[in-house]
Amino acid sequence: MPKVHIPTPLRQYVNQQASVDAAGATVGEVLATLTSLHPELKKNIYNDEGKLRSFVNVYVNDEDIRYMSKDATPVKETDSITIVPSIAGGRA
Amino acid sequence: MIRIETAPWKIMVDHAKACFPRECCGIMLGTKDATGNLVREAVACTNIFPEARNDRFEIDPKEYAAAERKADAQGFEVLGFFHSHPDEDSYFSATDLKHSWPWYSNVVISIRSGEFNRARSFIVNLDQTAADEEQLDYPEN
Repeated sequence: MPKVHIPTPLRQYVNQQASVDAAGATVGEVLATLTSLHPELKKNIYNDEGKLRSFVNVYVNDEDIRYMSKDATPVKETDSITIVPSIAGGRA
Repeated sequence: MIRIETAPWKIMVDHAKACFPRECCGIMLGTKDATGNLVREAVACTNIFPEARNDRFEIDPKEYAAAERKADAQGFEVLGFFHSHPDEDSYFSATDLKHSWPWYSNVVISIRSGEFNRARSFIVNLDQTAADEEQLDYPEN
């Protein structure tokens, strides 16, 4: 089953686990499984329109899903999915 | 409240000076307890903002993922991020607000003419509509 790695501040919503196994054949399915198991996580990574919040990046192994097939990106049983904060800014 | 130990603070300020006049960025690792956050280690990151300009930064998500693994291995947590404002004060800009995560501390280091000026830390609310300043303790430079 694909493993989803959870960044530190979101672990409070998944019983303090660093990673969670969640079933699914695509990234969207895996994240749907994950957020159904841990509903509190859902409102913190998805907006009201049901889309991933702008500051949330998702990687499959080392690849950003924005440059793959986004939610439809296929995942294998052995794949590692990582939720990664998008951190940027500047004085502008 | 967030306190920064001497060794990580030196890494943060040295990185800000080395990157001047561009903005630097990095990740702070450490521990949490009832008194607040304690930064034990700092990771200087590459500024991957795609344009060559002095007023923006972006942390490489792969460097974040590596820092998270390093923190787990050392029994630390990722406590937050730091970046510099070259020839500007340390404030939390609208750009910072738009591109930051809630929950984390965000230390902004003001560098003037290549020298340290001062630093402040901010925490963003869940809706990314405001950032509150938090008490920041750092060593004398």
